[in-house]
Amino acid sequence: MRMSGAVQVLNHFRRSKRARWLIIVFACLSGVYFLTPVLLNEAAEGLIREDGLVKADVIVALAGDNRCNREKRAAELYHQGWADKVVVSGLSYDLGFHTGVAARRYVISLGVPEEKISMISETLNTRAEARALNELMRERGWNSAIIVTSAFHSRRAMYTVERAAPGRTFYSSPVPTGAPEWTPRSWWSRREDVYVTVREFTSWANTLVGGWQ
Amino acid sequence: MMNLRRRWALRVLISLGLLAAVCVALFFALPALLIAPATVAKSDVIVHGAISKHSEADKYVIDLYRRGMARKIVCVSSQVSRELYPSDYMRESLISQGVSAEDVISLRLPLEPCDGAYLTKIVEFLKANGWRSALYITNPEDSRYSNNLARRIFEREGVTLSVSYSPEDREELTRNWWRTHWKTQRMVGEAMIISLDRFYSQCR
Repeated sequence: MRMSGAVQVLNHFRRSKRARWLIIVFACLSGVYFLTPVLLNEAAEGLIREDGLVKADVIVALAGDNRCNREKRAAELYHQGWADKVVVSGLSYDLGFHTGVAARRYVISLGVPEEKISMISETLNTRAEARALNELMRERGWNSAIIVTSAFHSRRAMYTVERAAPGRTFYSSPVPTGAPEWTPRSWWSRREDVYVTVREFTSWANTLVGGWQ
Repeated sequence: MMNLRRRWALRVLISLGLLAAVCVALFFALPALLIAPATVAKSDVIVHGAISKHSEADKYVIDLYRRGMARKIVCVSSQVSRELYPSDYMRESLISQGVSAEDVISLRLPLEPCDGAYLTKIVEFLKANGWRSALYITNPEDSRYSNNLARRIFEREGVTLSVSYSPEDREELTRNWWRTHWKTQRMVGEAMIISLDRFYSQCR
């Protein structure tokens, strides 16, 4: 009796166009519900580029980290012997301070000798920073660099730097993910991570279309 | 069948075109949407939160102070690099421009995920000092949101608030803003902040 009821329902679905649409819509909604987190996680993971560590001429800590974890990572790599020089980066303010100088001070406090540190200035965005870095590397005769930046920024930074300095070799070694740094897993559940991630996607779009510089 | 497909394709194209037109219109309307009229009222304290690379708000703050709009100034910022607080430098700058040293305070804020958390810290500080009214100087693109969010947070704590910004900052920010990277970044960034904050209870 129960079996024939089920067959009846199945037959009804087979015959009814509306019922078939209902099933399709339900399947699509379920797909979206279960796939969205997977896709969002994958998209965020896609922002990261991490290369194997290789000895290079210089370690470059890109600007823009209020916590200075990029500089901390650069100092760690220096102490591990991956390069003999460190570059820090920053902006000057009319108020009389320079974020690059503060970053340099911090790297010195972490045990990197002052004479091993160079600085690039007025790096308002990644593309300006990449051009300044290329200029510095040309002046100093450096041909390879380990780029240290936040994980969410690492792929775009490498894309930008490699285009600004063709013929030189760059390796990416981003700051490890995890609080208080950006965490790609379930990034949409944390306000601080969601802003960074959405902004990075927007910046990617701007970089790819060659927009504002 | 072919006609039906064509009709659907046309519908999709028209919808996409309309969506693109709305996005473009919203983009160019950002200054009007984000910047509210400045309101200046006599207060116990000026909270100077417009400390950024492209801001000239210090002159505006000094002008308000000299006009007697408030007797104290609190410069607020979080760190922009390791142990580097722009509010400390702003305090020194205001003193060098003639503001009495005992009337200016630098308030160092910890790094927080959103404006709502910063504003809560600021209002706690104001209350601890016994101030009941504040004139909040912010960046122009942040004025409408601050007018809404900050006012709500401050008034919940019994502190009346007016929000203003430097007219020079507004003029500079809105001049050919869509052609300049930092101006577009600030406008779009603010729009993103406002949209995202709505989804997180600690930021509303």
